[in-house]
Amino acid sequence: MLIREKKLWILLVLLLAFGLLLGACGKDKEEPDKSEDQTEKAEKETDEQEEAVEEQTGPTAGGTIVGAMYSAPAGMFNPIFYEEAYEANILSFTHEGLVAQNESLEFIPSLAKSWETNDDQTSITFTLEEGVTWHDGEPFTAEDVVFTYQAMSDPDYVKAGGIRTAYVHPLKGYEAYNAGETEDFEGVVADDDHTVTFHFEEPNINPLYYASFPIIPKHIFGDMTVVEMAEAPESLDAGKVIGTGPFQYTEAIEREQYVLTKHEAYWQGTPYLDKIVWRVIAQSVMTGLLESGEIDFIADPNGIAPADFESVQALDHITIIEQADFGYQLLGFKHHHRTTEDVESGELNPDNWVPNEKVSNPKVRQALAYAINREGLVDGLLYGRGQPIDSPIAVQFWAYDDEAAIHYDFDQEKAKDMLDELGYVDQDDDGFREDPDGEEWVLNMHYPTGNELREKSAPLIQQMLEEVGVKVNLHQPKEMTAYVEGLTDDNSDWDLYLLGWSLGSSDPDPTGLWGVDAPYNFSRWNNPESTELLKKALKAPEAFEQDFRKEVYAEWQHVFSEDLPALLLYAQNSLWAYHNKLQNVDPLPFTMYENSHLWWVKEE
Amino acid sequence: MYAYTIRRVLIFIPMLIMLSIIVFGLAKAAPGDPFTGKILDPTVDPEVFEQQREALGLNDPIPVQYARWASAMATGDFGTSMYYKGKSVQSLIQERALNTIYLGLFSLAITILVAIPIGMYSARNPYSLLDYSATTFGFMGLAIPNFFFGLVAIYLLSIKLGWFPAQGTISGTEIGGWEEWKSRLHHMVLPGITLGLAGTASYMRYMRSEMLDVLKSDYIRTARAKGMGERNILYKQALRNAIIPIITLMGFEFGALLSGAIITEQVFNYPGIGTLFINSIMNRDYPVIMAITLLLGVAILIGNLLADIFYSLVDPRIRYD
Repeated sequence: MLIREKKLWILLVLLLAFGLLLGACGKDKEEPDKSEDQTEKAEKETDEQEEAVEEQTGPTAGGTIVGAMYSAPAGMFNPIFYEEAYEANILSFTHEGLVAQNESLEFIPSLAKSWETNDDQTSITFTLEEGVTWHDGEPFTAEDVVFTYQAMSDPDYVKAGGIRTAYVHPLKGYEAYNAGETEDFEGVVADDDHTVTFHFEEPNINPLYYASFPIIPKHIFGDMTVVEMAEAPESLDAGKVIGTGPFQYTEAIEREQYVLTKHEAYWQGTPYLDKIVWRVIAQSVMTGLLESGEIDFIADPNGIAPADFESVQALDHITIIEQADFGYQLLGFKHHHRTTEDVESGELNPDNWVPNEKVSNPKVRQALAYAINREGLVDGLLYGRGQPIDSPIAVQFWAYDDEAAIHYDFDQEKAKDMLDELGYVDQDDDGFREDPDGEEWVLNMHYPTGNELREKSAPLIQQMLEEVGVKVNLHQPKEMTAYVEGLTDDNSDWDLYLLGWSLGSSDPDPTGLWGVDAPYNFSRWNNPESTELLKKALKAPEAFEQDFRKEVYAEWQHVFSEDLPALLLYAQNSLWAYHNKLQNVDPLPFTMYENSHLWWVKEE
Repeated sequence: MYAYTIRRVLIFIPMLIMLSIIVFGLAKAAPGDPFTGKILDPTVDPEVFEQQREALGLNDPIPVQYARWASAMATGDFGTSMYYKGKSVQSLIQERALNTIYLGLFSLAITILVAIPIGMYSARNPYSLLDYSATTFGFMGLAIPNFFFGLVAIYLLSIKLGWFPAQGTISGTEIGGWEEWKSRLHHMVLPGITLGLAGTASYMRYMRSEMLDVLKSDYIRTARAKGMGERNILYKQALRNAIIPIITLMGFEFGALLSGAIITEQVFNYPGIGTLFINSIMNRDYPVIMAITLLLGVAILIGNLLADIFYSLVDPRIRYD
């Protein structure tokens, strides 16, 4: 009895001691960090004087920096199979394509040092950099390029989980090869070890875009089928993933840390940094960790939330990069609905579409657009970190034309007048307008969860529309997975919907979102003028000239803003931040991770 | 006893089959599938997802899909995740289950070590200063939302004072040996306390009231009258009876332990089963949803079975045949 009790006491005492020990260990570990932090701050003050000295000393090798993301990657580190921005993040350090993009979004040499197209742009020949090696030391050759595109054209590629077929679709002979009718892959051909030619089925106005896909190593995956490739450790595991990039993905603690180590033999020179560590953190503690120096940078795909902007700006040792994003949020108008048969069979045939009478008059849509205070949304929800836009082509693109689009400046009186004129007046004194036939006029509005700011904007938009007498039935928000189903299967009563697009920087062509038979044209917008312009902008040979396309897109932007398949609400700025000790950060409009081999850490 | 246990275990089987049918049906009835949430990438042709649906058999009738899942399951194959591409469900769960179990045990240990002694003390000395402070703490612990306590703890103890790490299960990537365990324990302190807070508070209240009841009962008076030592009365006689309701609670706790603590895991970015479960539901990752549900079902059934067995150990009056 007594013995048992004694044991219990000893156990308790031991546990207590252990706890104290832990506390002590923690202090030991954290304290140097803290004092470092303080000296950092002290030294900050003398920073300006030091800067001159530092420029002479130049970059020094060594050091580790820590980046943060709010969500862990799903874990697929093979470029031809990855899907998410979180993986793209890591892949942008480990893999490279033949070409990359510069500040003005032109394609510039990367693994290919030069290229030449034939007269009708049905083929393009690249001369590759020599002396490029994979992380495991094997040389990079034209065979790797052929292999990458061949794998993506494989009949089993989609079944294995691949989704990037857009890159191989226009290649010559793709259909036959993909259907398994032939073993010959003619789309991409290696002329010799360092020359490779892409052949297209038709004249291609943007061949460099198709050649920009990251290349994977043939000597690693060559003996596997694509299905095996998708499950191979070489696609999934740290230390096994091989690319040509400045850093190699070497270690990981699943869902927590992803470690990139420098590629000593990187063809543009050994990177200065030893390691880049990605840590997965909760968004709620991001500002605190930036402050305490536990993380050094936060950028794509998350960045700083607009609400945190001020508190991060207040940190002396942090630099913020703020620039317009390529994507936007929109309030869509369902121009047409599909029939139930079409929804069931999945058919997208504009001839069968049923016009949505409630918003089918373009004047009505314009009136609604004037009723919405987009400036107010940007100021109130985004804390001013963004701007209202009227063109679905991002401002950074050459194709963007501010003049062309109609600007819907907030003007509720104008909205009311327009609706009055159109015969939408309140006939039964309930405070809401009826349609010209005197029937009840209620717009059904839907929105998804997942983007906090967008969720907050929905009731505000409802309120703004009700201020001009338009009755809006705001439905409960749905999570994205369920929402997209409702958005796609639109044999329903949806009239207004909220949605956001994050878009790439490669080409401004909006056909994928707003072309009449594009599946993502959720407004089911069918405007012959738009259809014709979008085709014209891509038609060879005129479209080889950028100026020609620019003109056509200007016209199209006008059509868009006049016919309003959607009112574009705002483009949120991307907000990235990094610790001042990190030098040589050279952000591009679409990424902060440019020339990471030149990044270095200034010793404090 | 053994017959009872075997009987109970055999009953598990039809229960789990029922559970799997219900969950499968519900998961499939929810709008959307693993691909609908993904399609918002304008560079990807949705036709591609249609082909993948076809390849995964998501277009087949639901009973056919269930039969396919169940027959694979019967051979011990949990399938492959539809969201975490290329990973088997088994490896996903294994990766996270250990984290969850460590954290669960750690917080349970904190709970028991704090709640039972304080509860007993409160009962022995009701309306004392410590009893009042324990009661206050108890109500506060029940009232403060988990995530809020977690955030305050991170802000004060981690960011301001730097005593404990704020995020993750381990620091650095040096894995192995004593260093790893030290780091793991160190990382578990904050989430462990956060997770155990509400439990500690309620167990303390249970312990106090049960103990008060028991101490007033006749047999304790008899024991005192016989001149039995106070310690003996408290630990040997009273505790055994007072602890029965706590065991019942812990039976349920066993299931909760495996299901992880979704909110705490998220605040501390502690990758466990809870986060995996919620993500798999969001992404309609059916194989993972099914596997975790079954796992939880088994855990809760076993937890209750263990609780029943423990009853008979602490209370000789309870017998099963």
